[in-house]
Amino acid sequence: MHADPLQGDFPEVIEEYLEHGVMKCVAFNRRGNLLAAGCSDGSCIIWDFETRVIVKEFKDKECAAAITSVCWSKYGHRILVSAADKTLILWDVVKGERIARTVLKQTSLQARLHPGSSTPSTCLACPLSSAPMIVDLLTETTILLPVSLSDTGNGATPPLRNKFSDGSAPFTPTAACFNKYGNLVYVGNSKGEILIIDSISIAIRAIVSVPGSAVIKNIVFNRSGQYLLTNSNDRIIRIYENLLPLKGGLAALDKANHEFAEQDQVEKLKSTGSRSLALFREFQDSITRVHWKAPCFSGDGEWVVGGSASKGEHKIYIWDRAGHLVKILEGPKEALVDLTWHPVKPVVVSVSLTGLVYIWAKDYTENWSAFAPDFKELEENEEYVEREDEFDLVPETEKVKDSGINEDEDIDILNAEGDSAFSDSDMSQEEIRFLPPDPCPDVPEMEDGLVVNTSKDGEISESESPFSEEAGQNGHLTNHESSPLEEDTGGMRLKRKRMPSEKFMDFETEDIKMPPSKSKP
Amino acid sequence: MASTTEATDSYKPYRLKHTLSGHKRAISSVKFSDDGRFLASCSADKTARTYALSSPETPHNEFHGHEAGISDLAFSSDGRFLATASDDRTVRLWDVATGSLVKTLSGHTNYVFCLTFNPQSNMLASGSFDETVRIWDVKSGKCLKVLPAHSDPVTSVNFNLDGSMIVSSSYDGLCRIWDASTGHCMKTLIDDDHPPVSFAKFSPNGKFILVGTLDNTLIDNPSFPQFSHYGLISDACLSCFGRKAALEFFYGKFLKTYTGHVNSKFCVSSTFSITNGKYIVSGSEDNMVYLWELQSRKIVQKLEGHTDAVISVSCHPTENTIASGSLGNDKTVKIWSQEED
Repeated sequence: MHADPLQGDFPEVIEEYLEHGVMKCVAFNRRGNLLAAGCSDGSCIIWDFETRVIVKEFKDKECAAAITSVCWSKYGHRILVSAADKTLILWDVVKGERIARTVLKQTSLQARLHPGSSTPSTCLACPLSSAPMIVDLLTETTILLPVSLSDTGNGATPPLRNKFSDGSAPFTPTAACFNKYGNLVYVGNSKGEILIIDSISIAIRAIVSVPGSAVIKNIVFNRSGQYLLTNSNDRIIRIYENLLPLKGGLAALDKANHEFAEQDQVEKLKSTGSRSLALFREFQDSITRVHWKAPCFSGDGEWVVGGSASKGEHKIYIWDRAGHLVKILEGPKEALVDLTWHPVKPVVVSVSLTGLVYIWAKDYTENWSAFAPDFKELEENEEYVEREDEFDLVPETEKVKDSGINEDEDIDILNAEGDSAFSDSDMSQEEIRFLPPDPCPDVPEMEDGLVVNTSKDGEISESESPFSEEAGQNGHLTNHESSPLEEDTGGMRLKRKRMPSEKFMDFETEDIKMPPSKSKP
Repeated sequence: MASTTEATDSYKPYRLKHTLSGHKRAISSVKFSDDGRFLASCSADKTARTYALSSPETPHNEFHGHEAGISDLAFSSDGRFLATASDDRTVRLWDVATGSLVKTLSGHTNYVFCLTFNPQSNMLASGSFDETVRIWDVKSGKCLKVLPAHSDPVTSVNFNLDGSMIVSSSYDGLCRIWDASTGHCMKTLIDDDHPPVSFAKFSPNGKFILVGTLDNTLIDNPSFPQFSHYGLISDACLSCFGRKAALEFFYGKFLKTYTGHVNSKFCVSSTFSITNGKYIVSGSEDNMVYLWELQSRKIVQKLEGHTDAVISVSCHPTENTIASGSLGNDKTVKIWSQEED
């Protein structure tokens, strides 16, 4: 029994939503068990994505402005947040302490930590209206990156085609990202060019012209670093294949630059560019012509997801990498402000303008045959042919009963294969896999009555479960019929809500009923 | 004395090092903490105790509060918290350092019989005589899921290495494997004639399940579910098992069987000993602790000393040390170690 072949590994329904203040942006850690969210009050919180409770909260008293972006360091030790008051703050995740705070001249729309280090202190900041910069958070030094070839003093200065801004700012926000190892920065500029810049020498090493020459709003790599995604003002998401070797990218660029040395500067960089990136796919909605918001890859890079930037619309488009639109997820009538795909699961998390975080997941259906030990599901009807001895009093096969298992064969109980989803990176550094539990102590009055506690523990599923009836009968536990709303009035900090999806409730109820329960009063 | 049968040349026998008396009634479970600093025991006398291994003879802390006997306990991964499962239908969470009660988790409608933390220790799973497995959020104490696990009391719950799967066992003769994140049943394992399953535990790498049944036999059961058997579950963490689909799934047929001990009444625990060679260690109702060599399935040693059935055993995470707890005629916890060179 397989999943419906027409159904891919992508999310379908809102499984749950998270509520805490007004969340603006989200980021998963590398394993996807923790979700960081930046809030409008300047705080940054970490959700345990398994239990969906808040496990950490960072709040800098000097920062009360909305968070514009959050970024985890590679192994989850640090979190960088950029805020609307022009600050960048680097947090130590475990200690919950501020490591560094830098005030820039501009508010950063996005800030990304250097991916090459497990304790990075440099980041790439993309301000509202200036060139992207590399910021050393400890020394508070900034290096502006060139956003066009002219900035480096070579070539003519073409007029800025500034379709995007209101005319007051000379710059449009310029998108930029590190490659996988952080030795190169890919800048998408307002002329529709991707500049590949050496992050040490800050020299442009290659230029790739994006068809349409429209302002590039987003630029992002997939996790493996093999594909680059751009989102342009011409309402097209483009996927480029990274032709450079992942580790020796810079050397390959140098080699190409050397080969094309006889050409003039612009030609040379463009020739090198053509060896660096190859256009792979274009995604657009040619009918509605929507602008895209926060496009990104799925964790495995098989899917591309983008939100509609239309106001009052929470639509998420999912394409497969071959370029087919496979699903449009329609959320509530609230604009989408951020979007991210879980690193390993078919789960998408979207942030709405109202500050709720929606978790989109597959619409799981219970696999009932898993409950029956010897049950085999058939793809289609088969004519049953009984065994020769099936109705014998003493079946032949029973006499032999050869399991075909050699009990002397050695087994390996110790070695587990590494998680292949993460094997692409070296694990020389200790990774923060999880934050140690910090249970909130029971409030004293909860101790004296089981009722308070039991009113909380119920899932929706409990409302019709045989156990609640049973509990009613023996009179010990009375308050099982708890709705998620009652659950929230239970006095504890519960910020987790089930979407009141009928289907889900029905199914959960069945779920409980499945194995016939014998009453044990 | 500890009799050694068919000792291999390299096998160094375990000897009794400490006897910890103090519990007033039968011991129900003993566990080492993951960092190896503490040993904990719980008892039908409604209390749990922790012992610092540096000086185990005097308890490090005592945990009072349950209104009925305690059946199982577990340390959180960082060793800061101890969870206990009791016949008073609650699970309680204690601060190991201070001995104070942190949380009471109520919800089970009958005796809570077994429990375990996931490796991340943000969740607890507990199994009960109410035939369910409940998954709790450690931080808030809220019940996240109620698994309709079995049709008889649940005798053990255990997470695999990365916490993505739970195995539960029951008197109903079944072992079930659950997806820990969704709470969905992934697979049901059954023996041909299904005797009550008294114990189930994943191997350290999560590839096998050690299963104890009440017909005296410990069984090592491959847990490789062929991917197509639960193709609806598409959790990427699980697909690493899917990639091993070449290995056939042996439907409750046992890869290795360990026999010789006595287990017909109680849920006797067993475990893997991996600190010096690989062994299966189990309690037994003939008052001894049994050690089998993992591969050859031969009994290498029987530890004698207890005066009642040995109900629980635990292996130290790094040292060659075994702890065992015994029932009401004995009421002691014993610590056994291999001879130093």
